[in-house]
Amino acid sequence: MTLHAEVNIAQLCKTGEELCGDNVQVTRTADSLIVVVSDGLGSGVKANILATLTTKIASSMLARGASLDDVVETIAQTLPVCRERKIAYSTLQILRIDHFGNATLVEFDSPRTLLSRAGHVMPFPAQTKTVGGKTVLAGHFELQEDDWVVLVSDGVIHAGIGGLLPLGLGWDGLAARLAEDVANATDTSDICKSLLSCCEGYYLGKPGDDTTVVAVKVRRPRRLNLMMGPPVASEHDADVVRRFLAAPGQKVVSGGTTATLVSRVIGKPLKVSLEYHDPNVPPIAYLDGIDLVTEGVLTLNAAVDRLRAIPELRRSTRKDGASLVARLLMDVDHIHIWAGGAVNPAHQNPLLPSDMNIKLQVLGRLRTQLEALGKIVQIEWV
Amino acid sequence: MLIVEICMGTCCHLMGAQDLLDVLDALPADQRRLIEFKGVTCFKNCGKGPSVKINGNFLANATPELLFEVLQTNLQ
Repeated sequence: MTLHAEVNIAQLCKTGEELCGDNVQVTRTADSLIVVVSDGLGSGVKANILATLTTKIASSMLARGASLDDVVETIAQTLPVCRERKIAYSTLQILRIDHFGNATLVEFDSPRTLLSRAGHVMPFPAQTKTVGGKTVLAGHFELQEDDWVVLVSDGVIHAGIGGLLPLGLGWDGLAARLAEDVANATDTSDICKSLLSCCEGYYLGKPGDDTTVVAVKVRRPRRLNLMMGPPVASEHDADVVRRFLAAPGQKVVSGGTTATLVSRVIGKPLKVSLEYHDPNVPPIAYLDGIDLVTEGVLTLNAAVDRLRAIPELRRSTRKDGASLVARLLMDVDHIHIWAGGAVNPAHQNPLLPSDMNIKLQVLGRLRTQLEALGKIVQIEWV
Repeated sequence: MLIVEICMGTCCHLMGAQDLLDVLDALPADQRRLIEFKGVTCFKNCGKGPSVKINGNFLANATPELLFEVLQTNLQ
């Protein structure tokens, strides 16, 4: 069974600093998710540069297939040396999870990564080993559905020093807190918010260190199928529609002609709404068995704009086609776009650019935006 | 009963199909009761939008004024 690793990040800057000295890079490759966390020496600009260098080097190398040992060695040898302390230093945590849930972790000088399964919280299993003259912790673990992995910087472990807890929250304190939180959390943003607000509270609103929480949850992927445009060869219409309907996940049909075609193949009537919720977005339609039916290029173009402002999209209750489709896309992980290659006679107006260009442009914008949001997008030309 | 189908497709939308819906509001209530408005995805007549069909009769390049006139003629 393929699994999806959902990631969320939350950070606090040390009081008085504008830049966070911790840095996190999340990269998705064709077969895995890579999370790199680093805490740079000190705070502010210098720490931020060190941490960013570390995470950028590590994630770029890993995304191009370098081994974890090579990455640690490269970082140990290339970080710039601090003029005052005469050392080059940043912590490093690398977590890699493939689509089957196989997780690999490497830690250098960071707090132990937490693993939570069925309400129990434990350190992610790892052994010490020496790489490039540095002692690191490395481990493998097979994750299952509903497992959580939480990476933190030492600002979380020390939360409360100078505030409410003289000795800080500590790893055990954090683990106890996480055990309570996972019982009530539905997604990774809940865990991030809850742990970070806990730290901020213990610091009495004045964090003594940069504080970072990265929560990862492994779950079944949520899938959505989006059909836009009729197939290039009309004799394949019925086949394509049947395959589309049989695919796992939600179904969205975008485009009037496409919707008419689907309605004809499944033998159910298409009901077009006359209600405008936004003057720039044509009305939606209803078809049994399809989660959402919208107009094509104008709606999807507007949906890309909605997806660029996720917080606003979450808050809004707008019911126009673009907001509806954007909300569905926002909440899924895997998006299969069934792009029809047929030339649309509707767009053969000499005043408009060629249809393929419009469709390709919208498709390109949509794909770029969805990938920026961490979604896995597959485009199939039919 | 008069059946009025308005195209809600991309081109007709861009050519102002939305304005035709204003005709709905402009009609007196007793006339409104005699008309059934429907949305349609496409009449395959995109070059001459906005497109409307009134009891099966095609009306191309429709404007709110033109639609209002045609409706009045049909209702008499």
